[in-house]
Amino acid sequence: MGNAGKYDKVDRDILAAMGKPGRLYLAGLAVTASLVVLGGILWAYQIRNGLGVAGYTHPVNWAIYITNFVFWVGIAHSGTLISAVLFLFRAKYRTSFNRAAEAMTVFALMVAGLFPLIHLGRSWVFYYLLPYPTQRHLWVNFRSPLIWDVFAVSTYFTVSVVFFYVGMLPDFAAAKQRVEGIRKKIFSVLSLGWKGTDREWRHYGMLYLFLAAFATPLVASVHSVVSWDFAMSIVPGWHTTIFAPYFVAGAILSGTAMVITLVVPLRKSLSLREYITDDHFESIAKILLFTSLIVTYAYIVEFGLASYGENVFEREAFRYRALGEFRYLTWAMLFCNSLVPLTLFSRRLRRNTTYLLVVSLLVNVGMWLERFVIIVTSLAHDFDPYVWGTYRPTYVEVGISLGSFGMFFMLYLLFVKNLPVLSISEIKEHL
Amino acid sequence: MAGPMVFEEKGKFLERLRGLVQEGVPVERIRVITPFGVPEVEEILPGKRSKVRFFALVGAASGTVTGFAFTILTTLSWPLIVGGKPIVSIPPFLIIAFALTILFGALSTFAGFLLLSRLPSLRGIRSGEEYGNAFVILVEEGERR
Amino acid sequence: MKRRDFLWLLGVISGSTVMSACGSPNRSAKFTSYLLPPEEGVVPGEAGYHPSTCTECPAGCGVLARVREGQPVKLEGIPGHPVNDGGLCIRGQSSLYRLYHPERLRGPMARDGVKLRPISWEDAFSRVAGSLKASREKGRKDLFLSGRTTGSLSRLADATCAKLGIERLSEYEVYSHAAEKEANGLLFGERDLPHYRIEEADFLLTVGADLLETYVTPVAYTRKISSARARGDFLWYHVEPHMSLTGADADRRFAIGPGRERHLLSFLLREVLDRKTPKTPLPGELLAALPRTTAKGVSGETGIPQESLKEIADRLAAAKRPLVIAGGVGTANTGGLETASSAALLQWVTGAIPERVDFARSENYRAVGTLRDMEDLSARMGRGEAGVVFLFRTNPVFSLPPRLAFKENLKKALLTVGMGDFLDETVRGADLILPLSHSLESWGDVEPRRGIVSLLQPVLPPLHDTLSDGDALLGLLGKASGKRLAGGYRDLLAAAWEKRLGEGGRRRLFEKGYVEETLPKKAVSLDGKRAASAFRGAGPAEAAGKPVLVLAPSLRTFDGRSRILPILSEIPDPLTTITYGPWISVSEETATRSLLRDRDEVTVTSADWKAVLPVKVQPGLAGGTFVVHRDALPAPPVGTDPRTGGPLDTIEGVAIARTGKRIEIPILSGSFSQQGRGLIPDPVHLDEERRHERWTLYPEHEHKEYRWAMAVDLDRCNGCAACVAACHVENNVPVAGSADHLKGREMSWLRIEPFYEKGEVAFLPMLCQQCHYAPCESVCPVFAAHHNPEGLNVQVYARCVGTRYCSNNCPYKVRRFNWRQHPWPEPTDRMRNPDAPARDVGVMEKCTFCLQRIRAAKDKAKDEGRKVRDGEFTTACAQSCPTGAIVFGNLLDKESRVYRLAHSERAYRVFETLGTEPSVHYLRGRKP
Repeated sequence: MGNAGKYDKVDRDILAAMGKPGRLYLAGLAVTASLVVLGGILWAYQIRNGLGVAGYTHPVNWAIYITNFVFWVGIAHSGTLISAVLFLFRAKYRTSFNRAAEAMTVFALMVAGLFPLIHLGRSWVFYYLLPYPTQRHLWVNFRSPLIWDVFAVSTYFTVSVVFFYVGMLPDFAAAKQRVEGIRKKIFSVLSLGWKGTDREWRHYGMLYLFLAAFATPLVASVHSVVSWDFAMSIVPGWHTTIFAPYFVAGAILSGTAMVITLVVPLRKSLSLREYITDDHFESIAKILLFTSLIVTYAYIVEFGLASYGENVFEREAFRYRALGEFRYLTWAMLFCNSLVPLTLFSRRLRRNTTYLLVVSLLVNVGMWLERFVIIVTSLAHDFDPYVWGTYRPTYVEVGISLGSFGMFFMLYLLFVKNLPVLSISEIKEHL
Repeated sequence: MAGPMVFEEKGKFLERLRGLVQEGVPVERIRVITPFGVPEVEEILPGKRSKVRFFALVGAASGTVTGFAFTILTTLSWPLIVGGKPIVSIPPFLIIAFALTILFGALSTFAGFLLLSRLPSLRGIRSGEEYGNAFVILVEEGERR
Repeated sequence: MKRRDFLWLLGVISGSTVMSACGSPNRSAKFTSYLLPPEEGVVPGEAGYHPSTCTECPAGCGVLARVREGQPVKLEGIPGHPVNDGGLCIRGQSSLYRLYHPERLRGPMARDGVKLRPISWEDAFSRVAGSLKASREKGRKDLFLSGRTTGSLSRLADATCAKLGIERLSEYEVYSHAAEKEANGLLFGERDLPHYRIEEADFLLTVGADLLETYVTPVAYTRKISSARARGDFLWYHVEPHMSLTGADADRRFAIGPGRERHLLSFLLREVLDRKTPKTPLPGELLAALPRTTAKGVSGETGIPQESLKEIADRLAAAKRPLVIAGGVGTANTGGLETASSAALLQWVTGAIPERVDFARSENYRAVGTLRDMEDLSARMGRGEAGVVFLFRTNPVFSLPPRLAFKENLKKALLTVGMGDFLDETVRGADLILPLSHSLESWGDVEPRRGIVSLLQPVLPPLHDTLSDGDALLGLLGKASGKRLAGGYRDLLAAAWEKRLGEGGRRRLFEKGYVEETLPKKAVSLDGKRAASAFRGAGPAEAAGKPVLVLAPSLRTFDGRSRILPILSEIPDPLTTITYGPWISVSEETATRSLLRDRDEVTVTSADWKAVLPVKVQPGLAGGTFVVHRDALPAPPVGTDPRTGGPLDTIEGVAIARTGKRIEIPILSGSFSQQGRGLIPDPVHLDEERRHERWTLYPEHEHKEYRWAMAVDLDRCNGCAACVAACHVENNVPVAGSADHLKGREMSWLRIEPFYEKGEVAFLPMLCQQCHYAPCESVCPVFAAHHNPEGLNVQVYARCVGTRYCSNNCPYKVRRFNWRQHPWPEPTDRMRNPDAPARDVGVMEKCTFCLQRIRAAKDKAKDEGRKVRDGEFTTACAQSCPTGAIVFGNLLDKESRVYRLAHSERAYRVFETLGTEPSVHYLRGRKP
């Protein structure tokens, strides 16, 4: 058999995931789908009755929905880091993760993109946010960070989808030869008639290189733009220049954690140990540790700004965050984001995928809490003490958030069963 | 030498390919089909660098220009004062231009790729020409030197 | 396409377009276009201003009703009116809600077992007539009880009662000022309250009298204090047992133990007598009767330190034109008669009468009775002597103490006739209910004090099947006497005015809404013998060290009568920022000792009475003093002062106990401390270099003709929140309700922020600062918030998508979001100002400097080919402010008031260091 056999084996192993779904899979799909339905019903209820059904109030005008938005956009960044940035660095270990990571990016952005709509007071006129020629010749305010979000996130989404698709193009061609029926037809169409000629591969190589090159600055810029939703305001606790690198590092941190959360069970359930090795996980874990250290540095800088500055607003914002009503959330956040990842200095722990799964879950929780704490505590106690307030979420926000998680995992489950979960052609290339 | 030459192993395929080139078969008439991108093929069959990069450049440049032009012209068409900021505020417009640079660049590169690779090809979608994981060399009929 | 086909197509299209315009009547009903105006004199889109008088409290301020399309939509004070001179208090602004209240009585009703059945006016009057007859046969007495009534209505009530053989009882007012009247009666033979010309005084000492909130005629007093202060040589000391806006606004406030005022005043009287000999010496009998006091003793009794006592005495003695006013809570205690008499004597001795204390123009409280009169009434009814009892615009069941058993005794009457506008506690128990029109639907006149006749005229036909006060009485008279009366109340009034005022006076009455009459001077002399009796038989010494509950008057509800108006619960109490729900104010000392925090539930018990209330810690209260507002306790356990017959509003020997639970009441303020942020800076800011140079890379935006700005004088503002009520009415700001308040979702565009420091409070009215470099504008993604060329930060409701980023970025947090649809229940939707646009759910709103008024003024000026003049129009808040603290105008006009104030020494802006360049300048410089 020789070499030929090993390529076929790759095809078989990876496409085996697209077989008949097991009971566990169906149960997972049912649960996530019902969460999506729940989220949808609650959103409709919120549109009908106004945003008052959520826990928002003066002065905390942003809370859980924006937390979710930033959280999901952040998660998306890791996918692009793994597929684009690591490609440019020629990191071989990326091949085992990059398809799952790109899928994670696309789905995370789909979920994230819903939240600016959900948190609008008048969702039905969301199109006012889009720059199109209106009857009154009124365009949008390009100075507003929210419009930067519109451009940055939609650019990011478009480029990610293109990148995702382009990566799968040769895989569709390979997969179509091994499936039957409607799937074969769909894969044929999606493959665009790709044959694998040298000309195609030549253009493809340059395309992929350029897409990676275009996507790479997005990793830094998109979350910087999202962080400027906060940093461009004057709210104490938000208005600081460290936000852009802080958020980007935090995004990579939460993204790598989410990659681990997704890929550890993926590897186990689809028996892909051969392709996704412990070495691969160790590399990802190192990225997690590195970005966690950057985030810790940012926490220290914020503390420094508050204690050494004469700014009474900044000081109170920090004090409230550390010692005020939401202090337990702050401490949990510090524990999950700064302390727990430090254990990854140990090589043994880095290579223990069960432990990595636990760490990744904690980091996900910690990063979600970080966004929540930043948003809510800064708004609750800002300039005029008369308006200091608090925030209590209602079942509507919780339900919609659960729905968003459900939507992400549901899309991911659908992806696992219907699309090649690993980059077939790249794996073959590196065999 | 008509008909496809199918190889299961990469090494043998490359050997044969080198042989063909040494024999003097014109490079333009040699077509190979591989299950994945093989960098050695690029060396053996030298060709011009892919023109996709021009699409990228043009796309990105047009993105930048569009970004600035769009933002500047729309704000000048109805100059609303916000926050006391100047009507033409370059820093925020820069961000929009940056985003459009990337967007147009990426889309343009993709379009260029499709164009230059002659994709989507209906023949390719419908055809039964499936080689699996084999490496194939095809020599087209044409003038022989 | 062939030409024929083209023409055919064209015809079809244009034909169907034309046909679609033939709408159903339903659709065209939506358009508001009057070809024929609904009524003569009504021009759609134009407002008419009609003078009338506010009747929300007995003060009788003149109001202009702004009427649009036959509905009054705003009330404003009449400029130049002798009572309020253009200002209007929070209750006055809110009285429009009374007119349109959904729960107003809509027609006469009769009791049928437990239920109330609607009946006709004919039927109602017949029943009354029948009962009057039956009552005469049974030998019972018919009684007529009303609140304070003046002018023609009072005379008509007298006439009606005389003709029908009904006994007209003393008028019932919760604030009967019994002690002051008794004192004035004993000393000067004038059982009435004099008119105080505070504006003539150079030192004012008030003891308990809450001049700014409810005392007799608060808007007038507020105005007078303002004008006195404007002179520059005015000093005002206030002594009170509770904490009030009056105390907060005074130059110095002294907390006194409740009920101990008589000691202070006796001391002061002695001091003044010792230092200055009066022109006519006091009779020896009187001098002998005056109590002897020492500074140390008084200090011990009252809790005021000796240095402060000396200071007050020094000021009082040194003043050239002093004025001492004792009243309110200060005299509603067992020492009340002494206190009031001492104060009156001080007036006499310092020569205040008649320059500053004018009995000629007294406040028309002569006919008002005391609590003892109500005791007697209740006893009579209890003995079964009452036949038909008329309860006319009064609510004794709510405010009388339970020991009177008024409600139970009322049932023993043959027939109770409730005449009012709501199903309040008294009317609800009546056998027959005759609904009365609102004053804006009625003809009448009011005499707020002697020498003023103020007009009441209807500005719209009655909304419901109600009769005006006068017409109701005439209807009764007509039916019961069997005689058909010629003409209604209006004709009666016309004749009365003709007779009293003459043709010229009548014309002035209709033009300006009031007529001032010249009155002959009144000579007042001191009756030494009767004065001495006031000081004899002093009450027992007060129990020391026990907790005392003080029933304080409420700014928002007067004596509880205005609590039915939802807006007055919506606007927070300025000292505590509590909106909905009663509370008990507890001193900081007590709170620390008993570990009480805000919202803790406590039981308040006295001998035979108990209440459960949430706590609010109130700085400035003396330890052991607890305060509850009048309207918080229906049927409070007040005693009767044996000497004056008035109520004892200090209840001794109460026990306060924690229950361990909490009552969630909305306290709107997130912090009563400024947290070191300098929102209201110490006058130290006058010494600092304040005008920081601002450097910028970018050229400034130009303002061509107007640049609107506002100056708020914090030295004048006393926190009365009249501006807040005015803003609500002018801009259709919705009443959010308690549930929203508990979440912090109040909708007020303008709010009064109280900040406490060392037991003293200062108020900051916070509204949209219309920042030049507004942080809210640059972050709105859709340009809903942007800057207009005249310096205003405009909010375009139609464009707002509701991202709420603007509110996040506003350091002043003045932007209010519509978290839900705020419905306007019928008929309150008629109250909305048609010039202020409606806001949808999900849209941000905020103060616009009354843009609708700006536009109207500019339009008018444009019609006349000129620019808008300074003072030609102003915002609703500035218009209503009784102290004139808010000034609005064009900053580009260097002659304007706002320009001068904005560039004055005292001017500063809130959070100036943030660089927002607000257009609202605050002034503060008065050193305490």
